[in-house]
Amino acid sequence: MVGSNRNRGIRRTVRYALAMILLLVMVYPYLYMVLNSFADWAHIDKQLLPTKYSLKSYEWLFTGGETGIPRPWLHAFLNSVMVSLASTVLMMIFGVMVAYALSKLNFFGRNAINNFVLFHMFFPAIILLIPTFLIIQRVGLYDSYLGLILPKAVSLWAIFMYTNFFKAVPTVFIEAARLDGASDLKIMYKIMLPMSKSITTVIFLFLLMERWTELLWDMIIVKSDRMLTLNVLISQMFGPYGSYPGPLYAASALLTLPIIIMFIIFGKKFQEGMQFSLK
Amino acid sequence: MDHRNNKMGWLFTSPYLLYSLIFFFGPLIWSFFLSVTDWNLIAPTFNLVGIENFANALKSPSVHSAFWVTYKFMIIFVPIVTVLATAVAVLVHGLPRFKSLFLIGFFLPYLSSGVVSSLIAKGLLSYTSPMNVFLRKMGLDIDWLGTPLSALGIVGLILAWKFTGYYALILTSGLESIDKEVYEAAAIDGVTDRQRFWRITLPLLYPSLYTTLILAFGVTFGIFTEVYQLTGGGPNNATNTWQMEIFKQAFTNLQAGYASAVALLASVATFISIFIIRKFLEIWGKRNGWV
Repeated sequence: MVGSNRNRGIRRTVRYALAMILLLVMVYPYLYMVLNSFADWAHIDKQLLPTKYSLKSYEWLFTGGETGIPRPWLHAFLNSVMVSLASTVLMMIFGVMVAYALSKLNFFGRNAINNFVLFHMFFPAIILLIPTFLIIQRVGLYDSYLGLILPKAVSLWAIFMYTNFFKAVPTVFIEAARLDGASDLKIMYKIMLPMSKSITTVIFLFLLMERWTELLWDMIIVKSDRMLTLNVLISQMFGPYGSYPGPLYAASALLTLPIIIMFIIFGKKFQEGMQFSLK
Repeated sequence: MDHRNNKMGWLFTSPYLLYSLIFFFGPLIWSFFLSVTDWNLIAPTFNLVGIENFANALKSPSVHSAFWVTYKFMIIFVPIVTVLATAVAVLVHGLPRFKSLFLIGFFLPYLSSGVVSSLIAKGLLSYTSPMNVFLRKMGLDIDWLGTPLSALGIVGLILAWKFTGYYALILTSGLESIDKEVYEAAAIDGVTDRQRFWRITLPLLYPSLYTTLILAFGVTFGIFTEVYQLTGGGPNNATNTWQMEIFKQAFTNLQAGYASAVALLASVATFISIFIIRKFLEIWGKRNGWV
């Protein structure tokens, strides 16, 4: 009995050790990025963990260093924040609206639209890239915020997720609210949304993350420096800053850390929501 | 009780209807039209060329490479990410405490931008990196991104790094739904650990595994950022994905008509491949009695 207890203890310790090692390997790239962003330039990309540190990379971001021309990193960061938030909020609002109708309102054509959403979601979107670009260009939205936001204002996945979730909300609640004279807008806002907090966290984080790291669309629709998102600016500087990786690491940290911090803050809610959405 | 409300229904779905009109049906029809023209994205005029674009695309070596590269990435990415995610899920699931903490940790790579992960990979593979210095001492001088096989492997690994934690999360919730009594019964029958995994865990995990496999196969059809950042589709088209090919033809060579034809071919290839993969996975599951 004592032997088997000790055995179990050892197995448990081995499990934790294995999980820790694997986790360290998985987060090592992030650690590498952050440490190299603070590393002395002579030490960048030369050690597994840099041993000498300086703030030169961050200073360079804002002064342009030897090139003398600072790139608009901060402006690009603000563009990223604005575009991602606007896009994501629109995707959420439209997601809730459409899903509410598709799950709780009875109207002509509902099944057809429901089926079409599924079809649309699995349709290979790559066909649409060039003509979507042309449409945005023709209506004069090339190189503008609306050009970045509008084609990404509706998420089929969000509609799909909310529809499935709302279907599980008992209709009795809604009928009761209706008898009390509540409008559909009020039912959506006062009943459906509060009930779906955890799934809303999941959808919001996934959508925000996806929008925040978008490259292809943000790259083709933007021409001028003042419209660049941070992700695209880092991408553009890959070549020119090839021999100055420090500032690129600093900019990457600037791009990555906010989303990680946000995720850790919402971590608990996110997990609850994931558990639900995977059932 | 069941009252019809057409006005409200259409009003609430109108954002989606409008969106699909402008950003789905419009582009779809335009795309078909573009694919039979020789339009070059800036010229004021164009000619109708019939199926010439398609004929050229089917003969083009870079389109051939895009077709095959997708399946090469599949062979590299799907097994690696599936094995890693299963390992993480089984490992974390067996921990008595801190389960969610570990799961959140493993999920973090999913939040990375492809641009950033490419930068980090480039740094870790740079000429002065500890790994390469060590390998050179051993007499190995590898140009990781300039060699077709390793370039494919690197991009595959970056993607596996990104998706492992996400899929592990899906698999963990699959493991959680397995009835504990099954394991207890097996323990009484004296089942070994290995038998337990292959005969009990894996079959009962199949529904979640199916989800992650479909997601993973889907990823390989949309690879762009990592390839654009690290290899530009090279060396010698070895990592030239569909998205990369379409981007190059449309926005570098400005061949909008031709690129639209390539995009249509890409969609057809994607559609058929996903269909076959789904069927294959279903038959595989049924044959083993897992579904």
